[in-house]
Amino acid sequence: MSELIYLYGIVPVQEDRQSLSDLDGIDGEHALHTINFDNCAAVVCHVDEKDYGEKVLEDKTKDMEWVKDKAFHHHETLIKLRERTTIIPMKFCTIYQSENSLENMVSTHADDWVQLLENLKDKEEWNLKIYCDRPSLREKVAEHDLTIKEKKEEIEGMSKGKQYLQRKKLDQLVDEQVEKELNSFSKSFHDKLNTYCDQDLVKKTWNKDVTGKDEEMCWNAAFLLPLDQVEGFLEEVTTANSEHQHAGWKFEVTGPWPAYHFVNLSKSEV
Amino acid sequence: MSEREQYENKDISLIDILDTVLDKGVAIKGDLVISIAGIDLVYLDLRVLISAVETLVQSNQQGAKSISSERMDEEKEALEYVTERS
Repeated sequence: MSELIYLYGIVPVQEDRQSLSDLDGIDGEHALHTINFDNCAAVVCHVDEKDYGEKVLEDKTKDMEWVKDKAFHHHETLIKLRERTTIIPMKFCTIYQSENSLENMVSTHADDWVQLLENLKDKEEWNLKIYCDRPSLREKVAEHDLTIKEKKEEIEGMSKGKQYLQRKKLDQLVDEQVEKELNSFSKSFHDKLNTYCDQDLVKKTWNKDVTGKDEEMCWNAAFLLPLDQVEGFLEEVTTANSEHQHAGWKFEVTGPWPAYHFVNLSKSEV
Repeated sequence: MSEREQYENKDISLIDILDTVLDKGVAIKGDLVISIAGIDLVYLDLRVLISAVETLVQSNQQGAKSISSERMDEEKEALEYVTERS
């Protein structure tokens, strides 16, 4: 039966091809191993074409149970690999027909891989998400924000009819001010963390339906940190949590991750 | 305890996986590349995936906790043993 090659990531050249054979592959049957190329190596496992061929995969990826299982395997495996070596992580389900086609891809990108690996060496990715208690922040803004105060005083001096309309507008203004406050607060914390990192990325935030949390996500970012900066970076997060907790802010940091967010190729994707 | 120990591999939840494994990483066209992000996942399904992952992570954490409480019990026993003998 023909076998395909599931690619987890690119790593520096490995002396022992079997050094990863204690890790199970995505199908639970084949183990991981490495294939060395000139200046880098691929971490792969074999998979049967009958289970991982293009047609079969298209069906399987519609099965959420399957996706859940396998995506989690991909995630866990990359976490383990990252503990052992610098790695350029691949997206879930990147599969090659043969060693030949894998080699073709690697040789096309070899220069990029090598440079990337060099750049990622002794660095870790950490992700930060900031959540806030929006209703309580809104209350605070409505009471204490200067722009809002001025507007309120202005409305006081108006005729009754005008007041009604203006009060409606005031609600809108409060929402806008809350949005501004959320952003500037998060941005300033991000900037503070930025002094520790090598690269950073601000990402889109997810709404409550996805996060399933009571608080609202108001910031989502990834940082690539030199190893010796991690401790200081995390200290800032701990401090921020204890300083701003009472005001309804929550800073959640996760890591270390494989450098998922910092592995874009310099050239456009092939 | 160092800051790292406090945060390392903790609280990895839903969106974190979604944010990374399914959304990021290098995407190169292989012979067959099925990218989940390229498939129209129904919103609800995404939520299912995420909460399932969350459950898994939580059960792993509980596993770790029970081990440490076992260790506590062992230590307690050892302590009692020593104090009885003295």
